[in-house]
Amino acid sequence: MKHNAKYFFLLPGVVWVLLFTLFPLIYSLYLSTTNFRMGREPQFVGFENYAEILGLDGEGGDEKAAQTAGFSAFIMVGSTILTIVLGTFIAWIFNHDLPFLKQMRAIITMPLFAAPVAVGFLGVVIFNETNGPINNILQGIGLGRVNWIIDPNPARWAILLTDVWQWTPFVFIVVLAAMQGIPDDLFESAKLDTKSSWVLFSRITLPMIAPALGTVLLLRLVETIKMLDIPTTLTRGGPGSVTQTYTFYIREVGLRGSFQLGDASALSYLVVIVAIIISSIYFWRMRARYE
Amino acid sequence: MSTVAQLPNASTDAISTQNKVRRPLRPDRLALIGLALFWTFIAIAPFLFALTTSFKTQLDSIDGTVIPWLQYEPTLLNWQQEFGSGGAETFKTLRSSALISLGATVLATTLGTLSGYGLARFKYGIGNANIVSWFLSQRFLPPIATVIPFVLLFQQLRLIDTLPGMIIVNTTFTLPFAVLIMRDYFAEFPNELREAALVDGASEFTTFLRIALPLAAPALVAAAIICFAFSWNEYLFASVLTNRDWKPYPMMVAGTDSVRGIMFNFVSTRMIIAVALPVILSLLVQRFIVRGLTFGAVKG
Repeated sequence: MKHNAKYFFLLPGVVWVLLFTLFPLIYSLYLSTTNFRMGREPQFVGFENYAEILGLDGEGGDEKAAQTAGFSAFIMVGSTILTIVLGTFIAWIFNHDLPFLKQMRAIITMPLFAAPVAVGFLGVVIFNETNGPINNILQGIGLGRVNWIIDPNPARWAILLTDVWQWTPFVFIVVLAAMQGIPDDLFESAKLDTKSSWVLFSRITLPMIAPALGTVLLLRLVETIKMLDIPTTLTRGGPGSVTQTYTFYIREVGLRGSFQLGDASALSYLVVIVAIIISSIYFWRMRARYE
Repeated sequence: MSTVAQLPNASTDAISTQNKVRRPLRPDRLALIGLALFWTFIAIAPFLFALTTSFKTQLDSIDGTVIPWLQYEPTLLNWQQEFGSGGAETFKTLRSSALISLGATVLATTLGTLSGYGLARFKYGIGNANIVSWFLSQRFLPPIATVIPFVLLFQQLRLIDTLPGMIIVNTTFTLPFAVLIMRDYFAEFPNELREAALVDGASEFTTFLRIALPLAAPALVAAAIICFAFSWNEYLFASVLTNRDWKPYPMMVAGTDSVRGIMFNFVSTRMIIAVALPVILSLLVQRFIVRGLTFGAVKG
C-alpha cells in the first residue's frame, strides 16, 4: 500500500506529459521525415527536408529560413544582453534602502504578465510614427523622428526594445532576490577596505549573483527563441519580411498557404535541437538541488 | 547551482538590503531614488499611455496629447463600442478566455500539486532530479514544435475549436509552473508532520489532504494565479486551434487590424482589457514570482 501511494501522487502528471508533450514531439520528428502536406498522404523522405533547409543537397539551402533565423538570433543576443545588463543594474539600485521599494517592485513586474500579443499593440501605439510618445520625445530632444514601422532597421529595434521592456523585469526580480540573499557581513567587512560602489559590486555582488545570472541567461535564450507574438502584432513581420522571426516563418510554412507540414516540422526540429542544448546545460546545473 | 540552493531564503515581503544604516550622503540616495522612479515610470508609462488613448476619439488619438480634460476631451466611445454595440463578440471571447484559463488552472494545479507532493515527499527509482527536469523540459520546448502534431491529433479527436481541446493545450504549458511551485513549497515543511499523521494511522492520501494541502494554501493560490495568467495570455495555439466558437480574447486583440489602418484609440481599449486581469492578479503573487518563473532555481 505504502509503495503504491507514492506512484499515485506522481503518475497523473507524468502520464499527462507523456501524452501531450512527449508524444507530439515524437510525432513531429516522424513528420519531419515526410513530405506531408495537408490533404495528402505522407511519404517517407528520410532527411531530405533537413538537407533542403541546410543546403546539404547542393542547392543553397532555404534562404528564407536563414534570413528569419538571422533575425531571431539578433533578438536572442540583443534582448538577452540588454535585459541582463539593465535588469541587473535596476536590481542593484533596488538593493538599497529606498522608500516605497515594495510598491515600485510590484509596478515594475507588471509588464511580465501582459499578453505578448497585446504588448505588440502597445508597441504600435508607443512607436507610432506621426505622434507616438517615443517620436515626440526624440523630436523634443532634437534627434528627429524615426520611421519605426516602415524602415527595416528601426523596425528590428522596435521589436527588440519592446521585448526588452517586457522581460527586463524578469531579470530584475530574479537578480534582486539573489542580491538580497548575500549576507550583510560580507559587505560590512569589505567596506573597511574600500568605499567604491563599483569595487563592492564587482568583487562581492557579481560573484555572488553569478549562479542566478547563469540561470537567467539560459531562460532568456530559451524564451527569445520562441518569439512570435510581438512581431505578429507590432510589425506583422514587415517591412517585407525583415521582422519575421524563425518561429513566424515556421508558422507561415506549416500553417498558412500550402500547409507544408513535413517541411515545417523539419524547420521546427532544428529549433528543438538548440533548445535541447540550452536546457541540458540548465538541468545539468540544477540537478543537485532536486536529488 | 548549489551556491544558489544554499542561499538563505531572504525574507521576501520585507525587502532586506545590504545597507541597513542610512547613508549620510544625500545626493547619492537621491540619485538612486531618481533612477528607481525612472524605471518604475518606464514600466508603467506605456500602460498609462494606452489607458489615456482608450478614452480618445479617433481624431484625438493621433495628436500626441496625454492629459484628459486639460489637453483633450475624454470620451467613453471606444469602451461603449467594445462592450455595447459590438459587445457580443467581446463577451463571447472573454467568456472563452475565462473558461479555458479556469479549466486549465484547475487541471494544472491539481496534477501539479499531486506530482509536486510526490516529488517532495518520496524518492523515486529514476531519480527525483530527473523527473523534475523532465517536467520542466516542456517549458524549454519551442511551442511551435508541438503545434503541428497538435493540429493533426486534434483533427482526429475532433478537438479543434472546442473547450476541452484548449484546456488540454494550456494545462500542458502551465503544468511545469504548478509542479515546481508546489514541490518547493511542500519540501519546506518538516517531514515529521507527515510521519506523525501516518503513525496515528492516517493513510498517505488522508495525510496529504488533511495536513499538507491546507498548509500549502498560499502556494496553491500562487500556482493557480500564475497558471491562469499564462493561459489567459496564450496566443500561438489559440490562433491555430480555434476559429469561431472558442476563440479567446487574445485572438480578438490580434484581429484588431482594421482595413483603414490602425485605430490607436480602439487598439488601446482592447489592449487594456487584455492585460488588466493578469497584471492585477500578479500583484497578489509577488512572493512566488521569482521561484515560479525560474522553476525554483533561484529562491525569492
